Amino acid sequence: MSSGGKNKRIQIEPFKHPPQMHPHYAEQTWKVLEDAIEKIHNHNASKLSFEELYRNAYNMVLHRFGDKLYNGLINTLTNHLRKIAAIVESAHGESFLKELKNRWDEHQKSTQMIRDILMYMDRTYVQQNQKTHVYQLGLDLWCQVVVRNCQISERLRRILLDLVHKERTGEVIDRSLMRSITKMFTALGNNVYVADFEDPFLLASAEFYKKEASEYISSSDCPEYLRKAERRLTEEKERVSSYLDASSMDKIVCVVQTELISNQMKTLVDMENSGGIALLRDDKYEDLYRMYCLFGQVVGGLELVKDVMSCYVKDTGKQLVQDPERAKDPVGFVQGLLDLRDKYELIIKQAFKEDRNFRNALNQAFEHFVNLSPRSPEYISLFIDEKLRKGIKDIGNSESDLEALLDKVMTIFRFLQEKDVFEKYYKQHLAKRLLSGRSFSDDAERSLLVKLKTECGYQFTSKLESMFNDIKTSEDMIRDFKEKMEESGTDLGLELSVQVLTTGSWPAQATDQCLLPRDLEACCEEFQNFYLRVRNGRRLTWQTNMGTAELRFSCGGRTPHILAVSTYQACILMLFNDSDRLTYQEIAEASKIPPAELKRNLQSLALVKGKNILVKEPMSKEVNDTDVFLFNDKFQSRFTRIKIGTVTAQKESEPEKQETRQKVEEDRKPQIEAAIVRIMKARRVLDHNSIVTEVTRQLTARFNPNPSVIKKRIESLIEREFLERDQHDRKLYRYLA
Amino acid sequence: MPKDTVKLISADGFEFVVDYEAACVSNTIKNMLNAGGCFTESERGEVTFKEISGAVLEQVCRYFYYNLRHQNSAARSVPEFKVEPSIALELLMAANFLDT
Repeated sequence: MSSGGKNKRIQIEPFKHPPQMHPHYAEQTWKVLEDAIEKIHNHNASKLSFEELYRNAYNMVLHRFGDKLYNGLINTLTNHLRKIAAIVESAHGESFLKELKNRWDEHQKSTQMIRDILMYMDRTYVQQNQKTHVYQLGLDLWCQVVVRNCQISERLRRILLDLVHKERTGEVIDRSLMRSITKMFTALGNNVYVADFEDPFLLASAEFYKKEASEYISSSDCPEYLRKAERRLTEEKERVSSYLDASSMDKIVCVVQTELISNQMKTLVDMENSGGIALLRDDKYEDLYRMYCLFGQVVGGLELVKDVMSCYVKDTGKQLVQDPERAKDPVGFVQGLLDLRDKYELIIKQAFKEDRNFRNALNQAFEHFVNLSPRSPEYISLFIDEKLRKGIKDIGNSESDLEALLDKVMTIFRFLQEKDVFEKYYKQHLAKRLLSGRSFSDDAERSLLVKLKTECGYQFTSKLESMFNDIKTSEDMIRDFKEKMEESGTDLGLELSVQVLTTGSWPAQATDQCLLPRDLEACCEEFQNFYLRVRNGRRLTWQTNMGTAELRFSCGGRTPHILAVSTYQACILMLFNDSDRLTYQEIAEASKIPPAELKRNLQSLALVKGKNILVKEPMSKEVNDTDVFLFNDKFQSRFTRIKIGTVTAQKESEPEKQETRQKVEEDRKPQIEAAIVRIMKARRVLDHNSIVTEVTRQLTARFNPNPSVIKKRIESLIEREFLERDQHDRKLYRYLA
Repeated sequence: MPKDTVKLISADGFEFVVDYEAACVSNTIKNMLNAGGCFTESERGEVTFKEISGAVLEQVCRYFYYNLRHQNSAARSVPEFKVEPSIALELLMAANFLDT
């Protein structure tokens, strides 16, 4: 407010208002106010004039009787509250809480009114003297005189905790009353709520749940316990939201979690027949999910579940891998792995919310046990071989199913440490598939190749790809050849199909030559001439051990049969064109087939029921050097076309395995050396241990090199003067350009 | 039972009928009328000020409306509230009393 633009000087006169004050002014005014407060407490305020009371308080403060007013107020309130306390105290049983609540409501209201009439004091005196504001004063006094009254506080606490306990054990209580009381505590200040109610409440809860946990644990199995714990948790949360202060939520939840979960989770997980292992074993998604959710709320809970899963997977995996029964059946072996993986993938998806940590643990577990068996790479390759040869008839045969299956196999493949061993086997198996033309689907083969490529890089598949190319060019080649033959009018007397393979790309085969039948020999020569005319300077070697042949034969005027056999078998059978009876020695002499192969082929010709074109004397299961073979002129079959079981890709025998192993080790040497040279070229000088770690790191995608092997390679490189030892420090190696 | 208007009576008997909303510019009056609805003032909807003269109360009422109109406008556009110097002191005291 301003005086306006006038230039008149304003004289402020000395304040004249009450020039002489009544000597008992303060006493009288206070008496009026005290009466009024009393009336307010007795709900009698409607006869009072606010203005008058306000004015009185105003004047008292103005005339520096603030102290008197304030202290008088404290006294009046305290006296009043003492009476209230006595009333509340005398209430019995259930009415106690109700009385307290009603009195509290009244007190709140009257305090508010008192504050209003004393507002001037609140605004000036209280602030200047840094006293407690009137309303807060009312609350504080209530807290001091009523709530913390020695007769009341203990009883109040006991009653409240009793009520909570009753509700926990299933009784119905007056929740709104509880709510008012807890609201009163919070209104009195958070510290009052915590000290007078929350702390004892939490203690009592801890005790209650500790007892309950031990009861549950002895009476229920793991899933049931979890269900109960979950129910308790939701109950407590609901309790907080319905009649406790929201700040208690975390605390009480923490108490329940500690008592019901943290302290019991080890026992729970280890429960026999129903603990973590049993749940995993029986695919109890729901229970596992519950476990995941509950344990996830406490420190270390998920770790525990994860460890249990990891250990259990390792155990089952180990059993699977080392089960001698399984080892006899590579396909079953890998199928077992896939099933196991499917099972846990599903569990992680359904029960563990796709938790990445769990998946990592699962992968680690798989990696652990897949590599426990040295035959894993071989078996995986065999499994793929089986699927690619036969397709997957059992699950619908469609391309996409096969694709999905191969994807799964790839996940297992990823765990292999010795990927180069797998490569070795895969190459062998692929060679057999390609050469016998027995691959189920070319697309599937190629897609698998792409998968391997993305997994292991270009290097890994380059040779495999060149195998595919060889087959392709061979097809063209043989077409050209046939055209040529037709042009020149040469009749070979049989259909010839040749596959020209690049040495090095294909698995190396011992080239034991056998003597081919004359007709065939001629054909081969014809082709060789043709080929060398087109491509100069190459060398062709015949891999007779890998070929197949189809023969037509008839005996005793019956309808002719077509026999699908291997080249070796064809050689053997052709011998019987000239005579009906040959000894083992004669056959060996005439065909020059290596003994092991010869025996195997004779076995499949003479000893397989229904397909025994030859008869052996004496009739025994084994083929011996002294046996004699006869043509079986009583041979009969319902089929026109008969396939003689060639010995297809089978699990390797022990010596073969050793041999492959050795080959793999041999192949690793140059790779290790190359890695060492690469590293040294970049680093010039390096100590032994660093080289070993670096080499291991570089090669780990393909296999895990053995440190002692690396050491040997380093020695060999020193010998060949790629590296030298440092003159001064013998642990260091130097690269020699 | 808040009414739409309130009657304010000065010490020398002048009566001013103002909107409830305007009267509530004064915190004191606001409390009088709201305080649990238990005092005579809130029941009758009129307040007697035994220490405020009619002239001052009139200015007070003017100020209520002045405040109400300008409480949300920018400081610059608010016109000056003119006060006669002769009653300035009394008005100040009334303002203190009324917590305005």
